[in-house]
Amino acid sequence: MSRATAASVARGLAFTGAAVAFPYVFSAAWIVNIGVLTLMYAALATAWNLFSGYSGYINLGQAAFFGVGAYALGITFQHMGVGSGYNPFIALPLIGAGVAIASVPVVWVALRTRHMTFAIVTLTLLFIVQQLAFNLRSLTQGSSGLMLPSPRFPISSYDTPFYLAMLAILLMGLLLCWLTLRTKLGLMLLAIREDEEKARGLGVRVTGVKLVAWSLMVWLTAMVGGVWAYYLTFIYPESSVDPLVMIGAVLMTFLGGRGTLWGPTIGALILVPAQQYMLTRLGASELYLIGYAAVFMVVLLLLPRGILPSLRDLVARLREWQRTRGSVRQEAAA
Amino acid sequence: MHEIVQAVILGLLIGGVYALMSSGLTLVFGIMRVINVAQGALVILAAYLSYALWSNLGVDPFLSILVVTPAMFVLGVAVQLVFVRSLRGPEAPELSLLITWALALGIEGVLSVIFKTTYRVSLPSYADSTWTVFGYQVAQVRFFGFVVSWVMLGLLALLLTRTRFGRAVRATVQNPTAATLLGVDANRVQTLSFGVGVSMAAAAGAVYGVIYPFNPGSHYDLISRLLSIVVLGGLGSIGGAVVAALGMGVIEAVVAVEISPVWASFSFFVVLIGVLLVRPQGLFGMRERVL
Amino acid sequence: MLGLAALAATAGGASGRTSAGPIKIGISLSLSGDFSDPGKFAMQGYKLWAKTVNAHGGILGRQVVLDIQDDASSPTQAATNYQNFITRDHVDLVFGPFSTLLTAPSAAVANRYGYAFIEPAGGGPAVFDEKLHNVFFTQPAPIVQSGDVFVNWVLSLPKAQRPKTAAYPELDDPFSAPIAERMRQAFEKAGIKTVYKTVYPSETVDMTPIVSKIAAAKPDMVVGGTQAGDGYSLVKGLVQAKYSPKFVFEANGPNSPGEFPSKVGASNTEGIFSASDWFPKAKTYGNPYFVRQFVKTYGGTADAIDPGSAEAYAVGQVAARVIQKVGLNNAKIIAALHKGQWPTVEGTLHWNSIGEPTGKFLLVEWIGGKLYPVLPKNVAVKKPVYPKPNWGG
Repeated sequence: MSRATAASVARGLAFTGAAVAFPYVFSAAWIVNIGVLTLMYAALATAWNLFSGYSGYINLGQAAFFGVGAYALGITFQHMGVGSGYNPFIALPLIGAGVAIASVPVVWVALRTRHMTFAIVTLTLLFIVQQLAFNLRSLTQGSSGLMLPSPRFPISSYDTPFYLAMLAILLMGLLLCWLTLRTKLGLMLLAIREDEEKARGLGVRVTGVKLVAWSLMVWLTAMVGGVWAYYLTFIYPESSVDPLVMIGAVLMTFLGGRGTLWGPTIGALILVPAQQYMLTRLGASELYLIGYAAVFMVVLLLLPRGILPSLRDLVARLREWQRTRGSVRQEAAA
Repeated sequence: MHEIVQAVILGLLIGGVYALMSSGLTLVFGIMRVINVAQGALVILAAYLSYALWSNLGVDPFLSILVVTPAMFVLGVAVQLVFVRSLRGPEAPELSLLITWALALGIEGVLSVIFKTTYRVSLPSYADSTWTVFGYQVAQVRFFGFVVSWVMLGLLALLLTRTRFGRAVRATVQNPTAATLLGVDANRVQTLSFGVGVSMAAAAGAVYGVIYPFNPGSHYDLISRLLSIVVLGGLGSIGGAVVAALGMGVIEAVVAVEISPVWASFSFFVVLIGVLLVRPQGLFGMRERVL
Repeated sequence: MLGLAALAATAGGASGRTSAGPIKIGISLSLSGDFSDPGKFAMQGYKLWAKTVNAHGGILGRQVVLDIQDDASSPTQAATNYQNFITRDHVDLVFGPFSTLLTAPSAAVANRYGYAFIEPAGGGPAVFDEKLHNVFFTQPAPIVQSGDVFVNWVLSLPKAQRPKTAAYPELDDPFSAPIAERMRQAFEKAGIKTVYKTVYPSETVDMTPIVSKIAAAKPDMVVGGTQAGDGYSLVKGLVQAKYSPKFVFEANGPNSPGEFPSKVGASNTEGIFSASDWFPKAKTYGNPYFVRQFVKTYGGTADAIDPGSAEAYAVGQVAARVIQKVGLNNAKIIAALHKGQWPTVEGTLHWNSIGEPTGKFLLVEWIGGKLYPVLPKNVAVKKPVYPKPNWGG
């Protein structure tokens, strides 16, 4: 194993260890609750990054799959009951896979259009899914909302299973991103981002590659939606397909650094607590939305590559500066 | 049958207003490959400005277009200079998508602070009056809105075909490099065109605010329709946007009457996806694989 | 993660449980986002109640302190807020947020920790379907029963005077369509034929297609499952279509004493019915005082007071009374509220085991250009007038 890979693995294990220990060390319910939200956004941002960060196609429909995942879990367990309380978690990967498979024909249509049209078509998916949630009343209960059964987890650690579920999805997402970067799939995605025509000319199965990345993104996103639905036990169309949640995840990805492994997670770790703070301070005067927009604009205009790449650049330049300083000193001494 | 014809009339009347809104959107894309997701929010902003003039000074909303449009032209120029122009690089189009979305959120936030989330609508004296034409009802405000929209679209067409600026715009759309070589200041063209695009939204907003109650959150619904219209029409094609807008208005109104109101806006998305299956470039767009 | 740890360290110490300190009440309200207007009305009601109670010496000698947090109209945030109130700030009591949609997940959180959930605005089926025992909805009845008084009155009329046919335009949201549906089922059972029914989405701005279909079907009665905006548009549309049914009921719209005449034309209001949970001139417990104090504190007129403020005020009234009775213990509060009658500005309330109030809504009607409660008889100011006269007279 190369040194770089070993370092990566070490970082991953350290993060996993710290994250798993967190709810047991800080077991107050409200802290674990914030943890659940942070991990939810980190997982969403990582999933968004997996497709859009690597392929360069901006996907504005992620919230739709979050909603489909939420409803899929809700509809499945509404009448079935949750048994020990862990059944929904066990069913999640299957439900996610179902949503991913169902999304393939839709995105295939969208992928036939060019970049900008793709972004817009994915955006219309939001409205389509929301409308379906409203109109298919017999399935979704429409505007009245869908109720899930409550699990009987012990009250002292009620939020912890949800925390661990979100963490598991995030770790899967990180693992997928890490593997993608190390395999041919990743190379092909990056090639597409650079110059799709050239990649196609070089024999890259462009559409197939995009579909794989897309399906993985939907799989992860739908699972996050499912956990969220179970956590709140009550979902309705407007809350399940919420553009603001998606924009938050996109913002976090940009803040942390698109196309990097840890960028989205770092973005979430910064922005979710900041979001809670902003809401407490500014919410009452509706400056909350303006603050949000301002942060987004600042990131896009001043820090377009995000924190991680900028940090890496800074570190590289520092090292370069140290090295040249060292060699100048050597020369001066000589 | 009577209902269907009534629905078609209604659809055409409102389709005209949507055509005006989306003309600005598709024009801007054609020139600088920027999707202005804030177009919906700018329409609502104009609606509020027009409403404020009406409720405080009694200015007729249609007359307020004369004030609101130039004001928002200036705003559009400012927005382009501050936000859009500074985006560089090959990913500028996609970044512009996100930055204009942030702008839309910002506008929504500012409007919420100033006007709160109560629904508003301008109600001039003729707001409820209708004419009966061959047994079909035509609301006066909708008719005036329709006329205004076509007048503005006509002015836009004149601008693009009869003026030097218009020629520069069309040259830039066809071939930016050649246009620059021939002396066209691409930056200026882009900035002014963005202003023109926003002006279209402004006029449409003044009209919108008389016909429909609105609040700061109304821009989401609007922008989803506008984006679908420009994609259906073909990104960059103003004629396509007009056709698509009229089509959208009619489809929605007819579905609302014949099937159910709850499926009305959904049906438009279905049509959109259907068309894209067969013609990924939209009705009048140019076939292009990658940007 | 370090940031969260720091937050934990600083916030852990606060506890409102010292016996001489103030009573802390946590409330999540929608102060921004879609529900921010009604959220503001609820806040006015809550704050006015706290001011009133404190001016009279507090409860059990302790002053009341309200901790109001914004939930940005998001259910996720509302649930988080109540988590924070209960497990971080250790408040003594929590009051409910605005809207059924936010109340349902919030009530579940409160239930987990054994807190009573007295709430002013969560009256839709979703809240009661949870079958929680800690929920207490401070309006006279579940929202879905808003039209019951009208139904019973119509069916009590001699057969010759009853409407024979009806049309049901319904807004697709949890509070509107269910009301009209319930009424439709009752009317159909009694033999009143449904000649037209439609559901329209909540962003519908154009009622013309619907109105033209109603006018074409010529029903004796129009029952609208509406909110305010579409309620106004429906009436305006019927006026423009020149169709005047003999009976018109709208779940919302006509129940705004200030807005309705200006929105539909003052001469068009005569004979239109609606439902209301609260009325400025009602002689319910503490209501004249509430109305006077509200106008004094916030300005405006009595007619402009939104029922949301009264609903929130009623929450406070219930809380004050039950704390006086059994002390500041949530388990005891929950047990006590399930028994007996509790007088408020919304009327005297009594709940069943899952939080549904067992009373009746008011039936209100426009008579002579003003809005009056006409049923139930014990609170009626005038008798119901029917059939509805033609538009404009």
